[in-house]
Amino acid sequence: MVGRKFPTISLLMLNLLSFLPLPTVSFSPDYPTDRRILVLLDDLALKSSHSIFFTSLQSRGFDLDFKLADDPSIAVKRYGQYLYDGLILFSPSTDRFGGSLDLEGVLDFVDSGHDLILAADVSASDLIRSVAAECGVDFDEDPSAMVIDHTGYAVSQIEGDHTLIAADDFVPSDVILGSTKIEAPVLFKGTGHSLNPGNSLALKVLSASSSAYSANPASKLSNPPSLTGTAISLVSAVQARNNARIIISGSLDLFSNRLFRSGVQKAGSSYKYEKSGNEQFVTELGKWVFHERGHLKAVNLKHNKVGGTEEPSMYRINDDLEFSVEIFEWTGSSWVSYVADDVQVQFYMMSPYVLKTLSTNQKGLYHTSFKVPDVYGVFQFKVEYQRLGYTSLSLSKQIPVRPFRHNEYERFITTAFPYYGASFSMMAGFFIFSIVYLYSK
Amino acid sequence: MGRSTTSKDAQALFHSFYSAYAATPTNLKIIDLYMLFAVLTAVIQVVYMAIVGSFPFNSFLSGVLSCVGTAVLAVCLRIQVNKENKEFKDLPPERAFADFALCNLVLHLVIMNFLG
Repeated sequence: MVGRKFPTISLLMLNLLSFLPLPTVSFSPDYPTDRRILVLLDDLALKSSHSIFFTSLQSRGFDLDFKLADDPSIAVKRYGQYLYDGLILFSPSTDRFGGSLDLEGVLDFVDSGHDLILAADVSASDLIRSVAAECGVDFDEDPSAMVIDHTGYAVSQIEGDHTLIAADDFVPSDVILGSTKIEAPVLFKGTGHSLNPGNSLALKVLSASSSAYSANPASKLSNPPSLTGTAISLVSAVQARNNARIIISGSLDLFSNRLFRSGVQKAGSSYKYEKSGNEQFVTELGKWVFHERGHLKAVNLKHNKVGGTEEPSMYRINDDLEFSVEIFEWTGSSWVSYVADDVQVQFYMMSPYVLKTLSTNQKGLYHTSFKVPDVYGVFQFKVEYQRLGYTSLSLSKQIPVRPFRHNEYERFITTAFPYYGASFSMMAGFFIFSIVYLYSK
Repeated sequence: MGRSTTSKDAQALFHSFYSAYAATPTNLKIIDLYMLFAVLTAVIQVVYMAIVGSFPFNSFLSGVLSCVGTAVLAVCLRIQVNKENKEFKDLPPERAFADFALCNLVLHLVIMNFLG
């Protein structure tokens, strides 16, 4: 009897367990940090040669799914739903991805708001180079070209060809690179790329020094290289308009354990750093690209007449109104208030009639008050906030503005006094005229 | 030579007009003066509107139309009261004045409503 009861009891327990809310967190607007990340590798040895990078990601709570780049079971999307929140492509020499992923699939993934880390290297395949090109980053046309710097290379025991360079030209942004300054230069060995200066969405996170150039180290240069100096970007970041973040690096070794652990001495300086800046650089970039930092949200856009509390459906010209909005920043685990002094609101109809900088109460609430302009029509309250490294905020709320009603004008209009005077003088004139006419002889 | 003849002609014209006008009866001269007052007030208002702009337009129309209406009614009174006018020979001047007064009453009622 006991033997038969036991399985039924355990089945009941299982049923009960399935109703309990299991503590899973997933990527959502309330929790913008990515969770599940697909890592595509050329070679499974990368799992161990880049293990420091991967374990640091896993220790921060990311679910890494390692697959070989030509694994036929790769699927980013199933039945219209995305299976992953982020993608790491460490497969520079792959010509074709396995499974259902291809160039369009990767671009769709990014277009739908998901993040990407792409590492290219010397002799990168056309597939990887075209993914980068679609993101706005142009690698050197010669696939075997490397970045060579004869004055900024990393000093080492063997006399190399100066392709291992020590770069310290970082983008000055605390959001992207963290608040702690990276003291040691970053070791880099790979291809360089350039960005279109007209592209406002892409920026150079790590640029080469002005003495660098991109060329094939094995062959003699017959004409001057096309990519030179600070135009060469070693690591770039792109933030799309839907706030998807992309990091494109020209070197896979940048992420490797070997370069994390090695010391660095830049040629021309006598100071030798015990540890290169690679680990700190890559960790901070990883935090930025997977939305652990620099992700803003704006809520509670409110407006009301001065003295009132509820939002009217219409304003009148020359009304006084108050406007407020709350902006929060995600820290990786919670929302904290975002404090800045350059958030602006526009009262906009075809062009901004009013543009005011919002004042803050230091707790994430931004407010201001202004007078509705003397023009009627359908206006919008617009908050457009785009700052380097932060997600872009673009809010708008429509509100109509009406002219004065008939009884809202002043009772006697000053400019009309001559007309009032004329009408009354006509009446007086008629009265005087009739007396004079009737009683004159 | 030509200028002195034209100016002499103008002077002769003015003198003949002035002497002919002096012959009109006094009551007609009073009506003419009243009409002149109304037209001048209208002109002043139009010049003011040209300088300042037409806001508020209803007050402008009301003011100008009161002057123009007064002038029109005065013209009608003058026609009906003039003894040299054969058409209104049988109309008593009191009747003409009564019509004038009533029409003015209606005119000023409308003006006050439209003045705003």
